Amino acid sequence: MRSRGSAARVGTEWGLRLLILALLAGYLVHTLRVRYRGATEASESRGLAVALARWSTVAAPARVHLALSHPPSVLERDWLAALPGAGTAVAWAGGSLLPTAIAVDPVADPAGGVEVAVATPSAVTVELRDTLGILDSVRTVAAGVRFTVPKVRPALEAEVGPVVARGTVHDSLELHRLLVLGDAQWETKFAIAALEERGWQVDAHIAVSPRHRGDVQQGEIGDIDTSRYSAVLAIDTTAARYGDRITRFVRAGGGLLLWSPAAKAPALAALAPGVPGTPIVDEHQAPTDTAPRTALEVVPVVRLRPDAIVLERRGEAVTLAARRVGSGRVVETGYTDAWRWRMAGGDAAPDEERTWLARLVASVAYTGRREMAAPPTDVAPVATLIDRLGPGTPKLDATGVMALTAVLRWVFPVLVAAMLLEWSSRRLRGVK
Amino acid sequence: MSRFVFATAEYVSGDWESAPALPENLIDSVARYTSIDVAPVGVNVKLSSPELFDHPFVWMTGHLPVRFTDAERRNVKRYVERGGFLMIDDHNHDVTGQFHKTVTEEIERTFGKMTRLPNAHELYRCFFVFENPPPNTHHELNGYGDDLLHRYLDAVLVNGRIGLLYSNKDYSSEWNFHAETKKFMTQDPTKFGVNLIVYALTR
Repeated sequence: MRSRGSAARVGTEWGLRLLILALLAGYLVHTLRVRYRGATEASESRGLAVALARWSTVAAPARVHLALSHPPSVLERDWLAALPGAGTAVAWAGGSLLPTAIAVDPVADPAGGVEVAVATPSAVTVELRDTLGILDSVRTVAAGVRFTVPKVRPALEAEVGPVVARGTVHDSLELHRLLVLGDAQWETKFAIAALEERGWQVDAHIAVSPRHRGDVQQGEIGDIDTSRYSAVLAIDTTAARYGDRITRFVRAGGGLLLWSPAAKAPALAALAPGVPGTPIVDEHQAPTDTAPRTALEVVPVVRLRPDAIVLERRGEAVTLAARRVGSGRVVETGYTDAWRWRMAGGDAAPDEERTWLARLVASVAYTGRREMAAPPTDVAPVATLIDRLGPGTPKLDATGVMALTAVLRWVFPVLVAAMLLEWSSRRLRGVK
Repeated sequence: MSRFVFATAEYVSGDWESAPALPENLIDSVARYTSIDVAPVGVNVKLSSPELFDHPFVWMTGHLPVRFTDAERRNVKRYVERGGFLMIDDHNHDVTGQFHKTVTEEIERTFGKMTRLPNAHELYRCFFVFENPPPNTHHELNGYGDDLLHRYLDAVLVNGRIGLLYSNKDYSSEWNFHAETKKFMTQDPTKFGVNLIVYALTR
């Protein structure tokens, strides 16, 4: 008669035999399902490179799902985009990947520099850096942020959380000369001085005498066209004598910076973004470094045209406005005595006034562009990911079937262990 | 936009007000020959005051020794470096005189050695054209002061522009006449003064 222990052992052996049979049957069924419906595999960002190699060689899953903690590299993204062509559908999820894009444009300024625009969701921290490290860091209020980088870098990166958008300058600009038209007055003199110190080559016609016999001319003022000039600066009504030529120049793509008195001249008024209003005169105070232009007299731009945009305000008053005319751009400034900023401002005033004026000119200046060799970039990694792979899906496809290799990875050890146990138990009982 | 206001420099030492009729004569000439919007009367401005920076052209003259205070020196340096035009004229017409000796010391202490302005400089042809510049004064020709005809003016240049112009010619005496006197002159001696102002306003 068998003991109770021996009966339990026999029962265990039968249990193991049933488990072995179940595993073999299950694996057989799974093999048939894989053949019929295909396999699904999953990967995270960390193991993506290895998984891609496997999916393209030893395994050919019907679908893969990626849980991304950061965007794949350009190579990985292209590889993933190629997988559907080989019969593997790709889905992904990445809730922490914030859409980020970078645009890098050279500034029309002889001092050089680039303007970097970064598009992001609001209330995120954007870090701008080059190959040497962080240049600036800003928390966005609206959808994006702009940086001005004084020197051109080979590549710039905007980092928002795990997303890094890489951009670079693709064009070099061909700057032409500037033409300044105005009376002999301080604003004319200091505008020319600031722009020349900035590196611009400036032609000028400065009215000095009633019949212009003794006018001061700087440079040869020939045809006013975009092959010679990037922009015209009209300081006052004396510029009106060039009205027709300036209008043609702007319509052909040239830039025009209008001071309020010039915007009043009938020959130029049609180009202006608005009409000069009544001057706002503050108590005479020296411009400070923190708010330099608030101390300057301003002639607000009123009755803005429908296509005009406001660039700057002082309270309710519009101090800078812009519009497009034909292919060109026009900016109207209400600051008629900006020279006082340079003369009477704080220690940084001369440089700040130069930079400010140079930016106004850059915002309208016509420039030829020459394409130049640039390193590969990834200006919008998340948008490109969506473009190449489709929008992210939050969960693994429930109808998916685990790949055979993945199943075998746990079935095989269990199967071998069960067989060994069953065999050992029988042998120890003395049964063959 | 601001109009041109002729400003005379006040300084603590010396006799800054030694040519009181000069401003009105230059203002009259600027109004007569040019379309520059010029204020009918000039102002006096302290070299040590913030108001100095409201007047990018300032005339300075005198006979007596000049010693800048620290505030004056600091302001003058800042003024010239920012684009102001300071005209200093030796009212003694005398290179051995106290004004010349002391004011040139002050200039060199503030800016370093002055540059001799070439006679082909645009200052001499930016409005009126002077064939043998700088134009001489009656005081030079009549042998007053050092009895020399000064052939050049000296300058402090900032970014290629004249920031400070120094003269031994004694234009202060030449242009410091009663306005009625002008009608008896065959040639207007203030024309070079117009060039100074046109240059300052356009360069």
